[in-house]
Amino acid sequence: MTTSEKALIPPTNSALSVFFSLILPGLGQFFLKKRERGLLIFLASAVLAFLIYWSLDHQNVGKINIGGLTTSWLWLPFILFWAWNVLDVHLLRVHERSTILPGLLFVAIIIYVIAWQVTGVRLNRLVERFADARIVAANLLNPDMITISVKGEDKICAWSCMYSYIGDKLEGRPTEGIIRPSDNLLRIIGSIRPLPASQWRVNLGLAEPGSKVNTFVAGTMIETIAMGLMATLFSTVLAIPVSFLAAHNIMSRFPGGTVIYYAMRAILNIVRAIDTIVWGLIVIVWVGLGSFAGVIALTIHSVAALGKLFSEEIEHIDAGPVEAVTATGANLIQTIRYAVIPQIVPSFLAYSLLRWDINMRSATVIGFVAGGGIGFFVVETTRMGGYQQYATALWVVAVVIVLVDYISAKWREAILKDQPQRDENKRQSVFYNLRLAFYITLGIAAFVYCWNITEISIRSLLDPGKNFGQLILDFLNIDLTPAVVQVVVQQMLVTIFQAMLATTLGAFLALPVSFLAAKNLTGSNQLLGWLYYLARGLLNILRSIEALLYVVIFVFWVGIGPFAGMLALSITSFALIGKLFSEAIENIDAGPIEAVTATGANRLQMIVYAVLPQIVPPFISYLIYQWDINVRMATIIGFAGGGGIGLTLTTFFGSLQYHKAGTVVAVIVIVVALMDFASAKLRRSLV
Amino acid sequence: MLKVENLTKTYPNGTQALRNVSFEVKEGEFLAVIGLSGSGKSTLLRCINRLVEPTSGKVYWKGQDTTSASNAEIRRIRRQIGMVFQQFNLVKRSSVFTNVMSGRLGYVNTLSSSLHIFSAEDRQRALASLEQVGLANKAHVRADSLSGGQQQRVGIARALMQSPNLILADEPVASLDPVLAHSILKYLEQLNKERGITVICSLHFLDLVHRYATTAIALKDGELVFQGLPKQIDDEQFKAIYGQEAERVSTV
Repeated sequence: MTTSEKALIPPTNSALSVFFSLILPGLGQFFLKKRERGLLIFLASAVLAFLIYWSLDHQNVGKINIGGLTTSWLWLPFILFWAWNVLDVHLLRVHERSTILPGLLFVAIIIYVIAWQVTGVRLNRLVERFADARIVAANLLNPDMITISVKGEDKICAWSCMYSYIGDKLEGRPTEGIIRPSDNLLRIIGSIRPLPASQWRVNLGLAEPGSKVNTFVAGTMIETIAMGLMATLFSTVLAIPVSFLAAHNIMSRFPGGTVIYYAMRAILNIVRAIDTIVWGLIVIVWVGLGSFAGVIALTIHSVAALGKLFSEEIEHIDAGPVEAVTATGANLIQTIRYAVIPQIVPSFLAYSLLRWDINMRSATVIGFVAGGGIGFFVVETTRMGGYQQYATALWVVAVVIVLVDYISAKWREAILKDQPQRDENKRQSVFYNLRLAFYITLGIAAFVYCWNITEISIRSLLDPGKNFGQLILDFLNIDLTPAVVQVVVQQMLVTIFQAMLATTLGAFLALPVSFLAAKNLTGSNQLLGWLYYLARGLLNILRSIEALLYVVIFVFWVGIGPFAGMLALSITSFALIGKLFSEAIENIDAGPIEAVTATGANRLQMIVYAVLPQIVPPFISYLIYQWDINVRMATIIGFAGGGGIGLTLTTFFGSLQYHKAGTVVAVIVIVVALMDFASAKLRRSLV
Repeated sequence: MLKVENLTKTYPNGTQALRNVSFEVKEGEFLAVIGLSGSGKSTLLRCINRLVEPTSGKVYWKGQDTTSASNAEIRRIRRQIGMVFQQFNLVKRSSVFTNVMSGRLGYVNTLSSSLHIFSAEDRQRALASLEQVGLANKAHVRADSLSGGQQQRVGIARALMQSPNLILADEPVASLDPVLAHSILKYLEQLNKERGITVICSLHFLDLVHRYATTAIALKDGELVFQGLPKQIDDEQFKAIYGQEAERVSTV
């Protein structure tokens, strides 16, 4: 090492490091061996500087004139951030400790001001157009489910009408009219109509050829349920081989297997980063609009998500049995069969059930792009302003998804709980076998029925639409001209900010509710007990409806654009954060609560001293997680008028500019993958 | 029967687990392998059936060099060598019967075994093996519903399914209550004496070595520091193996 090189590296405690941070933020911290802190400060200042410059340039954010010089007032907090960074080095050097709170404050000011502006938040609209919102609210609360016919005239019979009708019935008074399920409800659930007899009825001799038979015609919700079921089934079956290829402990046994492992992992991560709805856009080019396209889109995303979860499960199995079975002289296939599969079956089933829940939710919105299912129904009805019809869809979706959520959770719990010892005698009993045969028959019948109503067609799968070749070519040759990239990056930034604001707003709303929704804090008192059920119910119902379905409401209220999308996302964020927060509160250690209560503290003191210290780390972790989810959701919120990159994507797809759409998809993949990585790393450092 | 020559194992992270270890095992012996944790006992046992690939040196099993055996050959050799593990290594969710049955995999064809189809003879053999370790009535319960001592006996039954000539036992009693140690080792002793199965067993406690082993070797930092009869291990030898700080302790 020459002397000049030595001079560049200061002794760790030198005052020089303060000077270093003055010229380049983070450099001083870096030399004080706080490498991560230094790097973070440097990255933060670079990103902030870019954002301030970009937002002034594109959206006139923070524009001020000082003596003829146009600039952004946001440079002021930026300079303060810089100053804090110098002070930080000084404090670290002298006292070896320093707080990051001022730094965070300045970062927050800059980011939230920009986010507020680019998302187009207009609080005045919330107030000015409140009258409009009330109309929507009234419509939503009075869904078109029941039709009452009074003197030959059909009217929608909402809650109040039904209440008086039932009242009349119970008290034996003559009712005002005759009620029946509305046509709208029948469109959602299904109806029995005389239709030409199907081929199998004729073949079985149950009907004459050409005669009309009363046939159940599945409604859009039944179609949605079938889509979710089929996609879950297909993706589970496909994900199993994929997961073995993506499991390091299996692949490293083969020559060249590690290469396949890395390739597989990369593919899974890319496919997973593209939302189901975006896959829907691609799939319709291939097989055309319809519920079959929906099933394929759901399946593609699910295979990637399940493949990842499955392969991690394979990697985390107990290596002992594998070693033991290998030692008996078993070959690889036998080892997998006897030492790997028995270990992974329950968790695979549990993950599939979890995915079923997720697929059902996605299936309710896939129709926005792919056609088919309740999503398509919502698009059609809201386009014509049928908010009471749309409201029925929301209620039905809420009921179905809350049920699915419940069944899936209970079932998963039963699978993962250690089962009782297997009773050999029971397995041989007639009753057991009969029941098994019944379930298998039921399963096959359900499979065939779902296959039919989701219009699965191998032929259209093997015969891609004429534009599909073009799409592949364009996706391999994406448009990277500066003008396109600039638009895409700008929309992506809007999307990220949208997600951030939604997370913040959702968290603010969720915080008080989550305390009410925690059983351990509300159990003691009758009133609080009722509030608990109310809070839990509200969170569960709101959570059961996808953000895309909410957008319609906010578009009506505040107009098309990122603000509407942000508000829709904040509803789902509120529901999910509320659930996660309340569970975090329920999982805290009861010991400190007991101890603080024993000192004579009141409830509020107990929360401040015994509960809060335990829940802050999980809360922050969940916030980051929610932001991560919201960025994914925000990429599609534009499909329903919520602004952001989703709007750009549909525009490019709609005008067949696939090479530009490819650019959007590529940017989404990069951002989502980065967010995923960063959020996982951040959360790990918190726990 | 088994001959180990200049066996050396260096792990990818640079740990030298075995350095030039050579010894020989005659048919019918009960060989104890002693040494501190990390002295290379587990690596040595796993190099014999090549669960761990040796870096250099040779292992001869009935005159055949296992270190150069092909994949198919090494599976053929493995099936003659049963193995019992410290953590039992049972598939916890599978039944005891299936766990024992998996000991037969080296003998049966892949397709039928994948479908869980075994010959009546093999099923009989599994029940007999369980009978041997006193667990015939537990065949159809889940493996993790058994106690530790019972699980280890299932491990022995699994090894028996291989009709082994040699059993490698890697700290078979280290995860068990000391009172259970004798019960497990008695089963191994019985197999050794009555069926003439050679046993190589790594052990922690010296008095267990004195009680069961017919011959012993000791490892320290991967090197062979003692080879002889158990009773030859005097205080001086003991300190050489376990270090100056060590003191003899005894089990019940």
